[in-house]
Amino acid sequence: MYMVLAMIGGVVGGAMSWFIRLELAVPGIQFIDDFQFYNVLVTAHGLIMVFFVVMPALIGGFGNWIVPLMIGAPDMAFPRMNNISFWLLAAALILLVTAGLIGGGPGTGWTVYPPLSNAEYHPGPAVDFAILSLHLAGASSVLGAINFITTILNMRAPGMTLHRMPLFVWSILVTAFLLLLAMPVLAGALTMLLTDRNFGTSFFDAAGGGDPILWQHLFWFFGHPEVYIMILPGFGIISQVVSTFSRKPVFGYLGMAYAMVSIGVIGFIVWAHHMYTVGLDVDTRAYFVAATLVIAVPTGIKIFSWIATMWGGSIRFDTPMLWAMGFIFLFVVGGVTGLVLANAGVDTAVHDTYYVVAHFHYVLSLGAVFSIFTAFYYWIGKMSGRRYPEMLGRIHFWITFIGVNILFFPMHFLGLQGMPRRIPDYADAYAGWNMVSSFGALVTALATVLFFFIVYRTFTAGEKVAANPWGEGATTLEWTVESPAPFHTHEEIPDMGGRQPAE
Amino acid sequence: MVNARRRNGMIAGALFVVAGGMVGLAFAAVPLYQLFCQVTGYGGTPRIGVPEKPVAATDQTITVRFDANVNSTLPWKFRPAQNEMTVRLGETVLAHFVARNVSAEPIVGTATFNVTPFKAGPYFSKVECFCFTEQSLDPGQEVAMPVSFYVDPEIYADPGTREIRTITLSYTFFRAVRDPRGKGTGAAGTDENLLSTDKGSNSPPFLTH
Amino acid sequence: MSKRLRILAPLIATCAAAGSALAAAPEPWRLGFQAAASPVMERIEELHNLLLVIITGITLFVLGLLVYVALRFNEKSNPVPSTTTHNTVIEVLWTAVPVVILMVMAVPSFKLLYFMDRAQDAEMTIKVIGHQWYWSYEYPDHGDFTFDSFMVPDDELKDGQPRLLAVDNKVVLPINTDIRVLLTSDDVLHAWAVPALITKLDAVPGRINETWMRINREGTYYGQCSELCGVNHGFMPVAVEAVSKEAFRTWVKTAKKEFARADTDVDTNLAQVAETGTGAR
Repeated sequence: MYMVLAMIGGVVGGAMSWFIRLELAVPGIQFIDDFQFYNVLVTAHGLIMVFFVVMPALIGGFGNWIVPLMIGAPDMAFPRMNNISFWLLAAALILLVTAGLIGGGPGTGWTVYPPLSNAEYHPGPAVDFAILSLHLAGASSVLGAINFITTILNMRAPGMTLHRMPLFVWSILVTAFLLLLAMPVLAGALTMLLTDRNFGTSFFDAAGGGDPILWQHLFWFFGHPEVYIMILPGFGIISQVVSTFSRKPVFGYLGMAYAMVSIGVIGFIVWAHHMYTVGLDVDTRAYFVAATLVIAVPTGIKIFSWIATMWGGSIRFDTPMLWAMGFIFLFVVGGVTGLVLANAGVDTAVHDTYYVVAHFHYVLSLGAVFSIFTAFYYWIGKMSGRRYPEMLGRIHFWITFIGVNILFFPMHFLGLQGMPRRIPDYADAYAGWNMVSSFGALVTALATVLFFFIVYRTFTAGEKVAANPWGEGATTLEWTVESPAPFHTHEEIPDMGGRQPAE
Repeated sequence: MVNARRRNGMIAGALFVVAGGMVGLAFAAVPLYQLFCQVTGYGGTPRIGVPEKPVAATDQTITVRFDANVNSTLPWKFRPAQNEMTVRLGETVLAHFVARNVSAEPIVGTATFNVTPFKAGPYFSKVECFCFTEQSLDPGQEVAMPVSFYVDPEIYADPGTREIRTITLSYTFFRAVRDPRGKGTGAAGTDENLLSTDKGSNSPPFLTH
Repeated sequence: MSKRLRILAPLIATCAAAGSALAAAPEPWRLGFQAAASPVMERIEELHNLLLVIITGITLFVLGLLVYVALRFNEKSNPVPSTTTHNTVIEVLWTAVPVVILMVMAVPSFKLLYFMDRAQDAEMTIKVIGHQWYWSYEYPDHGDFTFDSFMVPDDELKDGQPRLLAVDNKVVLPINTDIRVLLTSDDVLHAWAVPALITKLDAVPGRINETWMRINREGTYYGQCSELCGVNHGFMPVAVEAVSKEAFRTWVKTAKKEFARADTDVDTNLAQVAETGTGAR
């Protein structure tokens, strides 16, 4: 269910991004002559991709399926609550799409900064709908997070200690805690914005003694952990896949687990690095520079541990492994530009330019989305009982890999040159790289069409798969049950006592 | 299993409390943030109030510039009476801004303020200011709005602020959110005898001391 | 993957050579920053070049490792996997080395940050106000005149004016002068940005932001609003014309007449308030 929702979201959000790229392919106005509509597209693309593609796919989809299997539990702790989460999310998506269609739409960017999002500059119900949509999506996430934490803390099979849990379960546990702590802050801030808009309060309105900068602090206190919420499950997936296909246990298991925990913790104290040009005190900026740079350390540990897992292994390059290696490389590219952006001085030059757009698309579009594809190819046999077409999967990987690099790498050059974000038309000098980028979008679009064909083939013509199609490298519990996994798995609770620890 | 279910419930309950607590914290951030800014001078928020112990005026000086803005929703003219002043550190100084209502109806305005560079905020103290309360102006009325302040001599002891030679004090007038139309004049002055009102004429306002 | 190497190599070369070029506006196919025209921008470029070397190094290092393990440890060349899961030395190493690299980055970064923040004893002040969707400028030290600056629409462009960047009234500023920039907004958030001069700061309603700049050479510098501010966000460019100090004085004289404020009666009153109202209490 979550996967279907994420796919629908992916099509809608992806289509929006292709509209944007088509508009930007050559200078001048192509077919979007209503710039409010352009801003709505940019906003909706961001919100849909974050809340209705990456999160439901990684957490809702793979998390709900795989976590109970991995820890030897029959199902999630609260199946009904899970159901509520899903329908809240579906309702939220409908609300958001409605918001885009009525009253001019929310042209505020996904960050919804006031005063632009205030009633004065965005009258009409569109922004209110978008806020309510985020409220529902947030509530859904919080319920989901509570469900995950309870399941993981309380429903592990005997012998499955915390330090024996597969890394994917660890990643979901950390993610769930981030959700639990960050989402309510967004909910609070959104509520304040809603009352500012409709009930005459002035939390963020300077005229009434409020401060628009406060919104940014609250938003990014949620927003930065949100970034890790999207990428941490990806880390977990990559760990499983790399270990499986190298036929080796994960290198430095404890280091990996606690690297994720520390990324989660540090994620809460770096929010203002999104606000370097807003007019912050210099000592504050210096602190956030330091804290942000520190994140590179646990992230580095993860990257090197993956490579060390492969080192000395006996690697099979099935489709999931290709995606995982692609993830590692692209995430490094996105990560190092993050190091550049962390420096408040240099950030002044590239803040709110396409350099930033390139950075977060490398870590999210190429990081989180690559991990979704990795997980899809890795677990689809377990989920559907049928095998994906191997050759098409590899072609899908290579087309996507080439496409996204053509798409996003030139954005670095545009950003250094000073092209601002979120503009529907650009100075003629930016034309060259924009053309290249739009061409990359076309290639990526082809790859996506191929992906849906692969899904179709898998379900209609895929061979039946056995309980464990990946061989001796796949040591986690989900491979001990038949494929597809039955509704209530592990009727006899497996005992981990005699098994090798998950590391 | 019953036991496990009860524990599930307890964990979930505790987590709900945590989530609720975070919502509470988000709202608590509003007053905390304001308090934090006022106490630390963060973000160029000047301090307010008289010095606890009298600060001795020194011979060192600093330039204070004045800047005035009016939000376009408010039909007022608002200008500093002096572009800049050179003040001695520690000395309490009086400066003026002039505001005039150029519309045909009485309007209540309220001013926000900050100083730059932001790091000067902790050393810039306002003793009295028209910005502490809302101001009401009748049509055509022009008022001199006083602000008295001092700059803490400590500003030259702090290595981070030692190089500052100029501080800018800025105000922005907005139409008050709850603008009670037709309210009496001058009622909102903080220090009535500092305010001189001169309705509808162009003669210069004068000060009472 | 080798495609990416070819992309990165000229990037480094271009950034290193950027100082010699004299761009004040974006150029087609350019890879690096616009040519720096202010001391701060020069330093930013310096730091960025250092960072670029480091991050390119890291990326190539990881890429090299990935290629190596893919060739050396695949199914065919290494059929029996090892079972190593720990190596304390290497784990300490890959924690410590990044820390050292971060220190190398952080030290110049902090220096730059505090250099940018240092309040210069500026020789003049200019005030920038963001509106939906144009900028207005005030010259409080030169008779307090003010004017608005709108983008020139496509159909009114004259020869040589860059599309979407040209404005009707450029901000004229003298070169080799420390200029204090005060920034605020009348409605929503905007950001005043001129890449070649590295001035980028948000304009926030109800609050003033301050930064400074110094322009090294004459020319016209273009920039754009850099904070989403609504429908015409992409159509409120910034154009700074840097001229010699003498030419600036001449321009001020004409500009004063052209952009004189209409409300002179307030000015007369102000003068009298200033005489009686200022000074110590």
